[in-house]
Amino acid sequence: MEKSELSYDPYNVIITGVGGQGNVLASRVLGNMLTEKGLQVTIGETFGASQRGGSVMSHLRISAASSWSPQIPKGKAHMVVALEPIEAIRVLMNYGSPVAKALCNTRPIHPVGVISGEVSYPTPDELKQWVKELTEKAWFVNATDAAMQMGNPIFGNIMMIGALAGIGELPMEREDFEMVISRSMPSDKVKANLSAYDMGVKMIRQ
Amino acid sequence: MSNLILEGKKGSRHLLMGNEAIARGALEAGVCVAAGYPGTPSSEIIETLSDASKERKLYVEWSVNEKVAMEVAAAASFAGLRSMCVMKQNGVNVASDFLLHLAYSGTRGGMVLVPCDDPEALSSANEGESRHFAKLVEIPLLEPGDFQEAKDMVKWAFELSEEIKSLVMLRSVTRLSHASGSVVFDELPEQDTTAHFSHSGAFIDPVEGPMTTLPVTWRHTQLQEKLQQAVSKFEESPFNTYTGPQTPELLIITSSACHLYSKEAIDLIGVKDRVGLLKLGTTWPLPPKLMQQYLIRADKILIVEEVISFLEDNVKILAAELASKIGIKTFFGKKNGAIPTAGELNPDLVVTAIAKILGINYEAMPQAYGNRAKALADLGAPGRDLTFCPGCPHRASFWTIHNVLQMDNREGFVCGDIGCYSLAMLPCGFGTLKTLHSMGSGAGLASGFGKLKMFGMDQPVVATVGDSTFFHAVLPAFINAVHNKSGFILIILDNSGTAMTGFQPHPGLQVDAKGDEAPHIDIVSVCEAIGAKVSVCDPFDIQHTQQTLFELLEDKEGVKVLVLKQICALSPEKKAKKMYEVEIDETVCLGENCGCNRMCTRVFKCPGLIWDKEKGVSTIDEVICAGCGVCASICPAGAINKKEVA
Amino acid sequence: MQQVFGPKELLEDVFQNDLCIGCGACVELCPYFKNYQGKTAQLFPCDLSQGRCYAYCPKVEVNLDELSNHFWGRPYDGSPLGNYRKVLASRAGKKIKETSYQAGGTVSAIIIYAFKKGLIEVAALTDREGLNPVARLVTSPDEVIKCSTSKFMASPTLSVINTGMREGYTRIGVVGTPCQLTAVAQMRLNPLEKQDFVDPVALAVGLFCNWALDTRQLMSLLSEKLDISAIQSMDIPPPPANMMVLKTDSGKVEIPLSEIKPLIPHTCFICPDMTSEWSDVSVGMFEGRPGWNTLLIRSQKGAELVEKACKDGFLETEEMPQENLNHLSRAAAAKKERALRTLIRRELINTDKRNQRCAVRIPPEVVQKILR
Repeated sequence: MEKSELSYDPYNVIITGVGGQGNVLASRVLGNMLTEKGLQVTIGETFGASQRGGSVMSHLRISAASSWSPQIPKGKAHMVVALEPIEAIRVLMNYGSPVAKALCNTRPIHPVGVISGEVSYPTPDELKQWVKELTEKAWFVNATDAAMQMGNPIFGNIMMIGALAGIGELPMEREDFEMVISRSMPSDKVKANLSAYDMGVKMIRQ
Repeated sequence: MSNLILEGKKGSRHLLMGNEAIARGALEAGVCVAAGYPGTPSSEIIETLSDASKERKLYVEWSVNEKVAMEVAAAASFAGLRSMCVMKQNGVNVASDFLLHLAYSGTRGGMVLVPCDDPEALSSANEGESRHFAKLVEIPLLEPGDFQEAKDMVKWAFELSEEIKSLVMLRSVTRLSHASGSVVFDELPEQDTTAHFSHSGAFIDPVEGPMTTLPVTWRHTQLQEKLQQAVSKFEESPFNTYTGPQTPELLIITSSACHLYSKEAIDLIGVKDRVGLLKLGTTWPLPPKLMQQYLIRADKILIVEEVISFLEDNVKILAAELASKIGIKTFFGKKNGAIPTAGELNPDLVVTAIAKILGINYEAMPQAYGNRAKALADLGAPGRDLTFCPGCPHRASFWTIHNVLQMDNREGFVCGDIGCYSLAMLPCGFGTLKTLHSMGSGAGLASGFGKLKMFGMDQPVVATVGDSTFFHAVLPAFINAVHNKSGFILIILDNSGTAMTGFQPHPGLQVDAKGDEAPHIDIVSVCEAIGAKVSVCDPFDIQHTQQTLFELLEDKEGVKVLVLKQICALSPEKKAKKMYEVEIDETVCLGENCGCNRMCTRVFKCPGLIWDKEKGVSTIDEVICAGCGVCASICPAGAINKKEVA
Repeated sequence: MQQVFGPKELLEDVFQNDLCIGCGACVELCPYFKNYQGKTAQLFPCDLSQGRCYAYCPKVEVNLDELSNHFWGRPYDGSPLGNYRKVLASRAGKKIKETSYQAGGTVSAIIIYAFKKGLIEVAALTDREGLNPVARLVTSPDEVIKCSTSKFMASPTLSVINTGMREGYTRIGVVGTPCQLTAVAQMRLNPLEKQDFVDPVALAVGLFCNWALDTRQLMSLLSEKLDISAIQSMDIPPPPANMMVLKTDSGKVEIPLSEIKPLIPHTCFICPDMTSEWSDVSVGMFEGRPGWNTLLIRSQKGAELVEKACKDGFLETEEMPQENLNHLSRAAAAKKERALRTLIRRELINTDKRNQRCAVRIPPEVVQKILR
């Protein structure tokens, strides 16, 4: 895919999840992959206290033309990548629109309020139904379980990157991923990450 | 990533975090010394430089507090080296006394102070500002408006500082420091500066004489002249840019991250041909000739900035002085309610302001979609309260402290301060903290409370401090309390690191910023030397900690120190290794029945414990559980079992 | 069974009303109520609508008719000494070798004998560390003497019954004050109607009591006057002494009652029970006869135990002169009347004012009888 073929410019991606899921790494990997393609990427993030069990978001602005605000304006997200399912709904409330699309990991991380019985967590069917209602198209994968089968739930975020590549909305290629991951990880970890990426692509394509 | 910071060649383009861009800028400027104290959103600057120091000749230090960090950087400057000191907005307050004097004495090698402010207090207990200090101590203030500027401005700042022989403030905010964008690199210079502090010249010789603020009024006048020198450079600075029509209906004046919001807002509502955007990178002092040039072009002026009306006030003062030349203006901003006076901004808020002034309707999201999305979010997106990590020693510590104070039944309370344990104000820490201000303030308040017995105060007083905070700000308050015979319990939550900000080392540990071995200062010995009785417990041992705390409560006199020593669950040293495999016997679990009522999930609330509504029992989420075993000690039915991991 | 409420109501009705006597009935049932140095506190709120804590508490919704019908098979009649078969003078028998008990040593003797006969496997007793009352679940007769001698502090003794039940003991003995035995009585009624409930209390020995003292205030007062860790025993001799007498390692210390009486918790003034009416046997001083006790026998079990204990030489009894019995009766009647007047004044009896909850329920005609 050529960079001029972005369906929107800027193309706005939100990667969301719970602090500790590897949100930041995922956004960096994606941002660097797209930078390799010559695109201008701006990423907005919140670190710090939100790590302690709170919701986190990374906003990615992808453009052929210029740099943009690190915060996506209301109602302007084109793709929501949710490492945790209810975060997809939370993000769509502020940044969604009828043309938004979503890629969701289905494994829940219960908020403390749910664990303590104060509020309830939606059922898997409700989640799927509601996300579909709020998007033009939605994909659901169980990246955490697949990652755990690989040996470590932390690969879930890399799988989601692979799945995003598999969807085909953005110019993402395996060589770019390999180059980016080799630059930021020790060499003995690269192979595992590539497997995770490949599995993510497969989860969408089949 | 640090390889990238060092290896990137001139002309190469990279996706960098604002803080990384600032660090690269410092390296391109040939910085030799960098010092700071961990503080979100600034910490990555020192971390990046510290990594770089493994391959460049560069001294990088995590100082014990921001005042000392500034002094360490100043020393390098006095010795002719380029230096940088880095902190969050609070840090400037801590360093302000030295900052004031440093402005008077001036500097030699270029020195740049980089405060990173936190509008909206995303990771702070305040949304205070550092910009005012520039005006207060009369030094130049620069604010990068995007990621490329974050790098390029640093080099310019060093050059300016060396020219005028005064330190320069380069201020960033969270949404630049922690955001990432495109940056094109320049080259890295050869490093061959030698450090030497010349001091035998005449008293008032700025290059060869001693470094002092005396004589004060003379130095003060010198400082003001330096500032004027900076202003003439500001008039020509490439960091002040204008985009838009020659005579716009509305002129937006902005700086910092607000520049990106304003740019996007103009694009969102399609008013590029009606609205001009003046982005200032040199925000104190405002260059009058430049300002006059643009202020004259429009009748309506909107000033977009976070948080306090610093830029707005300064523009208005200038406009008043230039009134005869530029005419009467209508200002929009914080004072007239167009821009919020608290919290951070974003493109939508700027759109709202512009749309109102120009009479435009803008709908960010179709209303039907918005209503439905909100309704679904109420149902399907329960909020995530902040909590301690699974396996956090603070959860165990505050469990015990809270329960002991309840049993003691005299309305005892805990004074806290800044760190992960600040969360003990919330239900995750059982609401145990009852005061929360700045670094070390809990100990100072406790020192005060502990003297109020003579006025009939019977409540037990406790202060909790972290191990890093102990060295930063607690020592003076502690010494004050012992010398003035104040009565309270000082609990040092020693989790072996500065956890909240990302696990930076401090003098209590055996490593330094670079990761090399370093002499450590033993907290227990320091407390004993000051003259307090010291007990040490493992907070995971609930029984022992509780018993010790009761004993300390019995002792009415003086400062008693209790060190609760247990390593942070996220510590790199711990390597996420579980101490125990923990599981719940469902047949023993009492669930919601009288005798328990789900204490582990309803009250203790460790994220690793899940309430299974259908079965009516608690379960452990093995992905989240950190294996600390504390829940096993508190289950009233004995349903939670822990098995030591080999 | 009347309606049982929960911990939220317990806080409102008892703690916030300053009615808690620190008896320990709500302690160790769950992790939320704990007692430290004589004061019971709630560590965390519990939102159950019904709890054993409320059901057991002797200061809320105590229905004396219900208790009387359950234990004695007849309604509550307000008689001064409650239901009893016999009153005797008693003291420990020759088989009791230790002598470090108070007055006649009847309580120690009965408990030791109950152990020896297997009537009980553990006993909930009250020990003392300095002036800090400590509840102990004693498992052998040898440990009983350690818990002997009177304590005047309100003690969380019942907490160890709760512990004992959880540990599976089914023959628990208890020595307690009237408020404590009222709680025990309510406990034995299975208020939450559990299917597999078995009454674990095999023997309830009551103590005579006019009032108790707040532990922390007592500690505060006495620590100024003596070394409280060296107290061997405490006594309040009968009038006209007007003193509290403390025996310490270095001799006797006397404190005027005028200094002690302000330390009586206000909740004692609503208690209508002087002789522990819900016991198997109750034991008190025998005024004018040091070295002897007054022994009230209430239940069949109590009667049989006393008879056997005498036969086996663990207990000695004698007839109680009518005059002494009258004196005791008058004192008990006076306490009942005072308590009822306080309950009426504070609107804590038979009222439905506070969301249909009150402290005590006694049939109105019985109330009238007591007040005459």
